[in-house]
Amino acid sequence: MSTTSRPSRPDAPAARADVPPERPLPAGRTWARVRHAALPLGSLLLFLVAWQLLAASGTWSDTLVPPPAKVWDAFVTVSTTRDGVRGYNGTTLVEHLGISLRRIAIGGGIGIALGVLFGLLMGTVGRLRALFEPWITFLRTLPPLAYFSLLVIWLGINEEPKVTLLAVAAFPPVAVSTTTAVAAVPKSLIEAARALGGSRWDVVRDVVVPSALPETLTGVRLAVGVAYSSLVAAELVNGLPGIGGMVKDAANYNNTPVVLVGIFTIGVSGLIIDGLLLRLERAVVPWRGRA
Amino acid sequence: MPSHELTASRDEADAAGAGAVRLDHVTHRYGRGGEALTAVGPVDLTVPAGEFLVLVGASGCGKSTLLRLIAGFEQPTHGSVRVSGTGPRPGRTAGVVFQTPRLFPWRTVRGNIDLALRYAGVDRALWPRCRAELLGRVGLEGTEKRRVWEISGGQQQRVAIARALAAENPLLLLDEPFAALDALTRERLQEDVRRVTDRTGRTTVFVTHSADEAVFLGSRIVVLTRSPGTVALDLPITLPRGDIGAEELRGSPEFAELRTHVSHAVKAAAAA
Repeated sequence: MSTTSRPSRPDAPAARADVPPERPLPAGRTWARVRHAALPLGSLLLFLVAWQLLAASGTWSDTLVPPPAKVWDAFVTVSTTRDGVRGYNGTTLVEHLGISLRRIAIGGGIGIALGVLFGLLMGTVGRLRALFEPWITFLRTLPPLAYFSLLVIWLGINEEPKVTLLAVAAFPPVAVSTTTAVAAVPKSLIEAARALGGSRWDVVRDVVVPSALPETLTGVRLAVGVAYSSLVAAELVNGLPGIGGMVKDAANYNNTPVVLVGIFTIGVSGLIIDGLLLRLERAVVPWRGRA
Repeated sequence: MPSHELTASRDEADAAGAGAVRLDHVTHRYGRGGEALTAVGPVDLTVPAGEFLVLVGASGCGKSTLLRLIAGFEQPTHGSVRVSGTGPRPGRTAGVVFQTPRLFPWRTVRGNIDLALRYAGVDRALWPRCRAELLGRVGLEGTEKRRVWEISGGQQQRVAIARALAAENPLLLLDEPFAALDALTRERLQEDVRRVTDRTGRTTVFVTHSADEAVFLGSRIVVLTRSPGTVALDLPITLPRGDIGAEELRGSPEFAELRTHVSHAVKAAAAA
């Protein structure tokens, strides 16, 4: 559901351009913020109105296009305990999300760590790059669903295939961006460190790693995005509890409101995580673009 | 690693031969076979400890290559390079200042200096004192916390000089360090470099294409011919140094005469 993410999207690139390094004058700040938020908020409002009108027109049945109120109802139901029924399938929405986030943290974390390691090796040793790069490119082009069945055959239906799928999905973007970044470390700075008496290891730690960090972090953001978009795929089999599993399960019963709640939740939490990563990136690499 | 003392007198340096450079029939070629380009040589050159040698020549005369050979970044195709009696090793035998500052943008001014102190093996407890001393020597007090991209080009090059001095190597190599700076900043930095080297008595090899800079800084000037670079002129400079101000020196007739002489030699060498 790309329409839901649209309101916040124009905000992201604009903020990136505005914040560093000089801040605007405090006087014009509030007004600028209001103007900034007006467009995305307006489009969100327009979207809700259009949705309501479409649902009320009766062109499609409630199952296909449930009205916003019904989706809101579903949101409240899966978020709370009502009439002795707890959330969806005995788990509240926040818990579903938390379990999925944990899978992403573990799987994505493993994929990112391996990606950084491979990137460092491949960026430093040309032969390793020639050896591994075709495989990583191959892996990168595969949609996660393509190898999920294989993972289920190999690893069963519990946590292992899910975490592995997320790791495999997160690995290529980080490996590729780290490789490129390491290979592009300015020779002049390596030479400067050597001229100061730095050893080979000193050069890796004090020049190669910090110099490659900005692009590596971009790769990490990309990887988290890929892992996030693979979430529903990862939870297709035995995914409950889990937000992707919830969407899949609700779809089996034509429970469109819950499907929509799940999609909104994935989209909004994804946006928040991306925003946090962007902030982290700015805080960790203030020298980006100034080398 | 010698202790971090800035008071090594000229006599001590002479006695040990520390920082002395000796090039015996050095040739350097880039590439191989028929396409090989001889950049330098053959060059025979001895720089006694404590001397301030300026290598002058037009662009492409191989003066930077010569400096890279002395720094140990390149190995000569023929001949031998000796610094303080041994083969040069990057970071161990000489401090180097490059044409651009080459500071690490992920570190502050202080971080750049600290890295140099760590690589030089200076005891961490001495860092604050050494740092203050180094920054003081290049006139950068109070800039410790600045990001290196926030300070001017001249200040960046000052940090680079302070960083190169951190290891207290008896030899300092500078490769056209002020070429990218404006005239005013350049003159001020020239005066600072002269003050720093006069005080510590370390051997210095300074590469430039400016006759003016060469005469102002050098205690000896060597003019190189155009590719391959060989020695065209070897000229000791005996201008009065310590007792006379920079402005006065630049304005003196002796200075003007020497500058013209060197300038002509550079042009003749480039045309030959």
